[in-house]
This record gives sequence, structure tokens and C-alpha cells, in this order.
Amino acid sequence: MTSVPADPRSAGTPGAPANTEAPAGEMPPYNPEQFWDEMFAGPGQVRHHYAELARKLATLSPADVARRQRAADHSFQARGITFAVNQGVEGIEKIMPFDLVPRMITPDEWRQVERGLEQRVRALNLFLHDVYHEQRILEQEVMPPELVLGATGYRREFRGVDVPLGVYTHIVGSDLVRDASGAFFVLEDNLRTPSGVSYLVENRRVLKRTWPQIFETYDVRPVEQYPQDLLEVLLAIAPPIVDEPNVVVLSPGVYNSAYYEHVFLAKAMGVELVRGSDLFVDDATVYMRTTRGRRRVDVIYRRVDDDFLDPLTFKPDSLLGVAGLVATYRLGRVSLANAIGTGVADDKAIYAYVPRIIRYYLGEDPIIPNVQTYLPSEEDDLAYVLEHLDELVVKAVNESGGYGMMIGPHASAAEREEFRQRILADPRSYIAQPTLALSRHPCWVDDHFEGRHVDLRPFVLFGREVKVTPGGLTRVALRRGSLVVNSSQGGGGKDTWVLGHVPEESVPSGAQFIAPAGDMAPRGEGG
Amino acid sequence: MLCRVADDIFWMSRYVERAIWVGRLIDVVWHFELDAGDQDEGADVWAPLLGPNHPRSLGTGTPSARDVRHFLAFDQENPSSLVNCIRKARSAAQGVRESISSEMWEQLNTVYLSLDTARPDARAEDDPHAFYQPIRNGMLFVQGLADSTLLRDESWLFFCLGRSLERADTLARILTLQAPLLQNVSGAGQDDVVRWLAVLRSCGAAEAYSHYYALRIEPARVIEFLLLNPLFPQSIRFCLETAMAALEGIAGPVVVGAPGAGKGDLAVRALGLLEARLRHTAVDEVLEEGLEEFLEDVQHRVQVVSEHVTAGYLRDEPQPGRLVAVARAAMIMATQQQQQRWPSPPDPLSLPRERGRRLL
Repeated sequence: MTSVPADPRSAGTPGAPANTEAPAGEMPPYNPEQFWDEMFAGPGQVRHHYAELARKLATLSPADVARRQRAADHSFQARGITFAVNQGVEGIEKIMPFDLVPRMITPDEWRQVERGLEQRVRALNLFLHDVYHEQRILEQEVMPPELVLGATGYRREFRGVDVPLGVYTHIVGSDLVRDASGAFFVLEDNLRTPSGVSYLVENRRVLKRTWPQIFETYDVRPVEQYPQDLLEVLLAIAPPIVDEPNVVVLSPGVYNSAYYEHVFLAKAMGVELVRGSDLFVDDATVYMRTTRGRRRVDVIYRRVDDDFLDPLTFKPDSLLGVAGLVATYRLGRVSLANAIGTGVADDKAIYAYVPRIIRYYLGEDPIIPNVQTYLPSEEDDLAYVLEHLDELVVKAVNESGGYGMMIGPHASAAEREEFRQRILADPRSYIAQPTLALSRHPCWVDDHFEGRHVDLRPFVLFGREVKVTPGGLTRVALRRGSLVVNSSQGGGGKDTWVLGHVPEESVPSGAQFIAPAGDMAPRGEGG
Repeated sequence: MLCRVADDIFWMSRYVERAIWVGRLIDVVWHFELDAGDQDEGADVWAPLLGPNHPRSLGTGTPSARDVRHFLAFDQENPSSLVNCIRKARSAAQGVRESISSEMWEQLNTVYLSLDTARPDARAEDDPHAFYQPIRNGMLFVQGLADSTLLRDESWLFFCLGRSLERADTLARILTLQAPLLQNVSGAGQDDVVRWLAVLRSCGAAEAYSHYYALRIEPARVIEFLLLNPLFPQSIRFCLETAMAALEGIAGPVVVGAPGAGKGDLAVRALGLLEARLRHTAVDEVLEEGLEEFLEDVQHRVQVVSEHVTAGYLRDEPQPGRLVAVARAAMIMATQQQQQRWPSPPDPLSLPRERGRRLL
């Protein structure tokens, strides 16, 4: 399917088949096919909240769109908003491809997302407190103990350690998807060091810079305040004995794929960006080395994984961490965000139990459901998974970023056989989920619009209260038909608008969304 | 400020300044070559720029003019080639993006990306001015942005210190290369005037010189102007005064040499001595001592200052042998009284290791 902004002449003709109105050589209108499309209810049927945007797009020629696209790409490149692809000394820096058409979320949809995430994050923090203290949930056999205590993210060293405010996950980025009915599901939780929030803010800035006109008439909720909200959370968890806490961001360094984000956050919060080698521990206090001697550090927003934090406790060959940091943390003399050991709660096998976790601790039903998940470690599930490998998505429990997964319907027989063997060898390390028909959104491809699958990663901050930033990172699977949205696998991004209110009914919702006259050749079916 | 951040800002600033000088030098010598006419083969003006140490990457034999230009601008093995300066400045800036302004980073990155094209050396050979001028302007723009966007805290002071020390050092190096020419005063022939003009131009000083003296160009004045002028911002004296002001800002209100003086005490003393020397000497004394010796001494001392700055501020390591002056003096007296050979504590002006040897 192919399409481009509407011809103004046909824009006001609700529901008219495009081919009869359009000039000769015209292509068929944008077709959402069998998927939930964020913008279209059906062929030519623009959803109400997108109507104004569709009208603006209709006034543009493909050359206009391409020009703004180039300006946006240039803006990302020149400002060095890049991620490193090959982690190495001379890694290649790439920009995350940015699609100009914003994704919109209505106030009603957002209310559900916000409430659902708050519920989830509160329940997961109660769960973390429990598994590192009394372990009631295991005693009462709501979950198999071996699943929790045997998870790679579980840090037995931290049993009995109290954390400030009882909060473990100060920054959470959960991945949401929508199925063909438009319902939201949680695909996974990121409770360790979720990244992507700089893109949430930068995508908005770049879109404002390159295409300010499309913001007119829309009430878009701002996202610029995120770093200040984050700083407030970090100050709130400082050790109570400290009057004026010193906050730092701990980064692995310039070759980390998210280095730009570390810079962005440190700068926006006005705190030091440090590396492990800038810090040292003396007399149960963490210090940084400055030109005027040592300076105490009270709160560390660490973007270094647990394993690398302290060579004395975890990986002994880690150069990214600080010797003695973990002991200082246990004494409560320095605070870490997120806490150590949160990985147990975003383990892909534990994920399957999150609905039960929510019911157990809060006595509520999950507001946003999980995706159906099969655990090969349980016998019934194993049989089902092996029988249905061709329809399921299989994921390695300990991998992320789109690595170590197999999408059954797209995989070859050999790949399926390989995963069958791997699952049989180590069932605890895999989960399987039905292949979701992820929702789609029109994206600018070469010189026209095509539907591409998207997900949504909102960011949740948890200090004294839970705050969901009104926006999110909409990731786009840029290859036609692909379901993998990770930036390391060629995914792109979109600005994500949470609307303060839905605009007044100003155009009939059936506005056309088809090609302008002239310069484009028809394209084949996609999806 | 973090030691690592100060270190990166200091070196970013030095490499930005060095890139400006290398770019200008190539541009100026090229123009001079055209003026010099065809009495010599081209390598005559270019080869001296390599200095006494013939670089390995050029192989043996007399390098062609094109080889020399390539070495100065594009050679990956030359640590001070234009592209290496820009790459290192950008890489240092990348490590401290949170501490410099976004504008500075974006500008530096833009210049860096502009070199990231196919065959930049062919472009440079084809139209040198159109190639080097925008690069030099781009780097000057970085300095201008630093001036108007950096907080006047340590980030600015280390930026100034790096730029001023680098400028003094590079000036001394360029003049060393030209010293034989300046001293062989065979009379004020037309050719010589053109050469001295080229020297002034390669230091960006031709117009300022004319304006200052409004006299015919002569070597003694050229030397005086570039070394000792108190008003021209690219004279060695001026650079050292600027560096001293920055270093005093960094060191804070400590009484130099007092017990427990700041971490950078040695740096302040070494730079103070050097600055005073330039401030209180005259051109005849410089020539009496020997121009080349004088310039070599300046380079050596700038290097020592840079090392003391590194040890005092840019590394947070205990410094062995950093004794309070009085304690050291007592040791010296004891040694003298006993007429005994005692292992002497390190001389504050001893030559330490260099960060990347360079020819220019």
C-alpha cells in the first residue's frame, strides 16, 4: 500500500474512493489493512484526533516533506544526537532515523496508560521489597521460589538491605504495544537502566524546529520538564543525614551506545557526568576527583549495570565501576538509582507473573494486561510451545535490545529447529509469546507514506510519588512488515504527542489521505 | 570541576588553537611560494617546515611540496596534522559535552563532519584557500562561542590556559623554523621583505605589525613584535600574560610558595618566571643570547608549565617529591653543610614527558 498527503481537492470529500477523485496515474489510498492503525480507522477514514494533522499534510508536496526530513536528520547529526552501533574504540555513530509524522495519544487513552503504569510500578516495588526481605510471596506459593531466587537479576547479597523511601525503581521504561483491536498491552518492563528518554525530549525539540506549523491547533502536553522531575526524585532519595546532596550521573563513557543520553541528562539537571575512574571510596564515603581536591557524592544516577558497578562485589575485571561502592551503598552512605537487584523484577520469566504480583500486593486487576506468555519451564507450556513454534515469538530471558529472539512466522525451519534445541536444553532461559499484530502508523518512506509497526515506551519516575511523563518514545520498525523496533536493529523514532484535549470537530473525520498530482510512481503492496 | 573534565577542556582548547595555526601556515606558505617566483624548486619553501627531524612517514629523500602539505594537513601518523588536531579536539569535546556549551560542541562537530568527505586532500590541492579558510574560520568560531557561552568558571579558565600556552608554544616553534632566515640579514632586498612578510603572515601578524610601527619591515622589529609586544594578542609575551591570568584564577587566592600553597603551586611559579622573563627583557638581549636558544628555552618552559598543570590539576594523584619550599631549602642547607652528595629533590623546571611528540 502506498500513499501520500491528500490532494486538497479531494480532502473535503468524505469517504470518496480515492481513485475516482484523484488525477490520472493516481495510486490507491493509504490502507491500514488488518492492523490497528493509529491514524486511520479504515481506508480513507482518518481518526478524529488526527484529522487536523491530515489536513496539514495535505497541503504539502512530497518535496516539502523531504526537505523537512533532511533538516531534521541534519539537526540530529550536527548536534551529535547519536548512538554507537559497534561498541568499540572507533564505533560508528548513527542517528536514530526520525519520522516526521507525530504519533498522537488521546486523553482517554493516556489516562489508562498512566493509571496502569502507576499500578504496575507500585506493585513491582512492593514485590522487590518483599523478595529482598520477608519473601511472603514465595512462602505463600504465589510464585515458584526457584524462579525468583534463581533469576540472574536476583542479588542475594542485598537481602535485608533497606533502600530510601522503600523505592527500588526510580526510573522505569515499560514497553507498550497495541494489538489489532487497539487495546494496550505491556510487552516488557525495563527496571534496571532504561534508556531512550533523551529521544523523547529531543524528538519534540527537533520537530518543533523543523515543522512548527503542525503544532498549531493541537494542545500537546510538554515533556521538557523530565530532567527536572528526575532531579527531584534523585534529591528525594539522598541519604537523610545529608543537607545539600551532591548528585552525579555515572556513565560507562563515550563508547556506550547511550552516551548522548547521559550527557543530555547531566547537562539538563546541571550535575556532574562522571565515569568510574572519577570516583573513589574512602572512609565509607564516595568522592569524586576534582581540580580542587575531593568532593563528596551522595546520589548516583548510574547508567552502569549491576554487574559492572563494583569490582570488589561483582565482575572483578570491571573498569567501569568504583571499588567499595556497594559496601558504601549497603551502609546507606550513598544512594543509587535504580537500586541494585531490580533486574529480578524485569526478568522475562517473572514478567509472566506480574498480573499475579499486582493482584497479590494491591488486590486489584491489572489495568493494562500482559501479553499471553508461555514458560517452557512449566511442563504444559513446554509442550504447547514446541508444538506452535511457527506462530510464537521466542525470547531469551537474559537478552534485550532485540537480540536472542526468534519470530516464528518469519523464521526458517532451521532457525526454528535451533530454538527447539535451545529451549529443550535450558527451558528456564526462554519464554514464548503469540506473535502480536502490532499497531501501525503512517511513516514517510522515500517519497510517500506507508504503514509501519510501532510500540510505545513511556517513562515513569518514582520518588515520593509516581509520575508518568506525558509522552513517550514511539519506536518504529522501519523495514516493511518488520516487528522489531529496537534502535540496534534498525528501528526509528517518532515524536509522541499526549493531547491535553481532543480538538473540536472541525473537519469530517473521513478526510482523504491520498497522493497529490504528479510526480510519484505507484508502488506495490506492503505489509 | 572534575580532573578529567578539566583535562579534556585544556586539550580540546590546545588542539583547536593548533588546528588554526597549521591551517594558516599551509595557506600562507602557499601564497609565499607563488610570490617567490620560480628561482627555486617548490620544495625549498616547504621542506624547512618539517624541521630538523625528518618524519618517518615521508620516507627518505627530499619530499615534494605536495608530500609536505599532505604531512601537515592529512597525515594520520603526524600527531599534529590538521585532521588529527580536529579529530582530537572533537573527541575531547565529546567527553565533556555536559561541561561546554552545546553551541561549541555543535560547531566543532560540524567542522569535523565537513572533513568526513571523500578525498579531502584532493579538494585541498585543487583549491587550497577555499578548503583551509572555512576550516580555520570554523575553529575560530569555536573560540568565539567559548568566549560568549562558557561560564567564567574553571571551564573558561582551563580553556584560556590551554589556548594561550598552545599559542605561545606554536609561535616559538614557527619562529624557530624561520630563525635562520631572520638572522641572515643579507640586506633589505626585495625578496627578504617578502619573506619577512610571510613570517608575519604565518603568525597572523602582518596587519598588526604595519599598524603598530608604520615603518619599513625589518627583522629586528619583526622579532620584537612577535616575541615581546605587550599589545598584540599573538605575541609570546601577550600569550604568557593571558595564561598567567588564567592560571592565577585557577590557583585561587593562595600566596605562592607559602606553606600548604595550592596544588598548582609549581605551575604558578614556573609560569610566573617565564612570563616575567618575557616581560622584562628587550630584543637586543634576546639576540645576544641567541634567538634560537631563546625560542628553545621558551618551548621547554611552556612544556614544563603544562606538565605541572597536569600534575597539579588534571590528575588526582599524590605527587611524590612535592615538598614545601622551606622543607626543601632546609634539606639543601643540610646537604651543603655536610658537603655530602644527597639525592636532590626534583627540579621544578626539569623536563618531564611530553603528551605526543610534535614537530610543529
